[in-house]
Amino acid sequence: MKRIFIFAIAALIFTSCDNNDDSTEIQPVENAKTTITFDARVGNADFALNKDFTIGTRTYNFSKLRYWVSNVTLIDSKGAEYLIPDSYYLMEEVGDLNLSGTISDKLTYPARKRESIDVEDIPAGEYKSIKFSIGVDSKHNDNLSLQSGELSIANGMSNIAWMWHTSYIFSSVAGIVKEGTTSADFLAETGLNANYKTVSIDFAAPVNFSTAKGVVLNLDVTKIVDGIDLIKTPKVNAAQAEVMSALATNYGSKAMTFGSIAN
Amino acid sequence: MKINFSYSILLSLILTACSKKESVDPEPQIYQFAVPANFPRPVFDIENAMTREGIELGRMLFYDVRLSGNNKVSCASCHDQKLAFSDGKALSNAGVSGTILHRHAPALVNLAWANNGLFWDGGATNLESQAFGPLTASDEMHQDLFELVDELNAVPEYVKQFDLAFKDQISSQNIVKALAQFQRTLVSANSRYDKFKRNEAEGNLSSMELRGLELVRQKCQSCHTGELFTDNAYHNNGIDADFSNDQSEGLFQGRFRISYNPADMGSFKTPTLRNAALTAPYMHDGRFTKLEDVIDHYSGEIKVSPTLDKTIPTNGFQFNPDEKKAIMAFLNTLTDEEFVTNRELSRP
Repeated sequence: MKRIFIFAIAALIFTSCDNNDDSTEIQPVENAKTTITFDARVGNADFALNKDFTIGTRTYNFSKLRYWVSNVTLIDSKGAEYLIPDSYYLMEEVGDLNLSGTISDKLTYPARKRESIDVEDIPAGEYKSIKFSIGVDSKHNDNLSLQSGELSIANGMSNIAWMWHTSYIFSSVAGIVKEGTTSADFLAETGLNANYKTVSIDFAAPVNFSTAKGVVLNLDVTKIVDGIDLIKTPKVNAAQAEVMSALATNYGSKAMTFGSIAN
Repeated sequence: MKINFSYSILLSLILTACSKKESVDPEPQIYQFAVPANFPRPVFDIENAMTREGIELGRMLFYDVRLSGNNKVSCASCHDQKLAFSDGKALSNAGVSGTILHRHAPALVNLAWANNGLFWDGGATNLESQAFGPLTASDEMHQDLFELVDELNAVPEYVKQFDLAFKDQISSQNIVKALAQFQRTLVSANSRYDKFKRNEAEGNLSSMELRGLELVRQKCQSCHTGELFTDNAYHNNGIDADFSNDQSEGLFQGRFRISYNPADMGSFKTPTLRNAALTAPYMHDGRFTKLEDVIDHYSGEIKVSPTLDKTIPTNGFQFNPDEKKAIMAFLNTLTDEEFVTNRELSRP
């Protein structure tokens, strides 16, 4: 556990260093900070692990939901973009994960629920929309030695075995799906540069982050699995290219929607 | 970012940007990569610019058995300089588990130009990402990356060298960066063929060698392209016809298991012909013991399948015995004795 903490510290050191660099540039008059929340939901219900949810004719019981959010950009009413530096965040809801045999013989990743990111130094202004990507851009996806944000090969969201393409796993959702007497243990993952999806979401009204405490976006898990038959294809990864592409498209096109503004 | 000169400027900018605090530490010295006169320019990775300190660190790591889980295996265990950084075995069992590997250890030659994927199927995009594969694979070096950082931190020379090279502490990311920097210095460009090309002393080719060169350029050029003698691409070269076995995550399907493009079924990375006389056995599984076997294969033992490379005739190139001898003679001129004895690339 200490190790992960060290990774986080290292990330902080890097970030703070980058922030110092910005000080040589034009300073925004009045910087603001806010919290962006990616609220995982199943339709109208809050997402939870180890709990039965009915989606269509099937019952899902999830054990894991993880995905990278990267290159978060706020767009103001004039169309100017503010890219949050080093914005690579692992959003997740997981129980204890046994990662032994990945980069270490014995490694447990502790249970964690993480839905929010704190953002500082937002230039003053009225913001109308947000843009971000699900996954990791090709530059960082292709080079596991680049350190930025929370990118790490220590959290089980990468493939480093020589038997496979060395890159990040963009998203991972697992659990059990049942329909009648049929059931399947599923693990549906996305990755590869072609499946890096950028999402743009308009706010319901312009947001001024010097007053607004935060923005809530919704991630609807029913939209993630929409059209994906996880009983027929319970393991979705690079070997099921078409299904993986459809899954990535779901994340990019319909799973994320505007939720609310917290004032 | 293809320009060699500006990248040194860029690097210094990057370094100064993060070291505004007054520092007495010397800056890492930019390594001036000498591009051989008859070679194309490599595409440099500005994210991991080569420095003298980084290369020296990479060399220390490359030869250090601390990189393996049982502290008995180094990169050099399977990449021996005197064999052009190959191992002479079809399939090695030199890894920590002693299990026979599925693929032949490739020779490490002119990797600064290898910009189209590493491994026989291109599963890693660059040397930095690639290194994590053998480091952690249980049948290869089987290293715990946390333990590795701890082990290296216990060696003052390493703590100092990482600081010199990266102005940073020891991390798995910096380990693979240093290894990549060293591997990009494995340049082989001083064979007799090269001296011939550059009109240098001792650069004479016999009439038979010249005939072999002509044949290689006529028949083999589409894959063993240009001065690198590789196109760094993936081809089905007709050593198998049936790729229906999808076991071991598609191990036998070549590039297909990375790209999932049906056209890549049974395709493997083109190895360079440089130092071919030193890098037996041949093919991704080391199935051909001798260079003569390889020439015989291309001459008339092609196995036909839908993805067979279009430049290979289905009945082979039908070389006559004299042509085979000429090709062999030419391939021997690609052996680079300076490369395999260069002390700067040897165990430090």
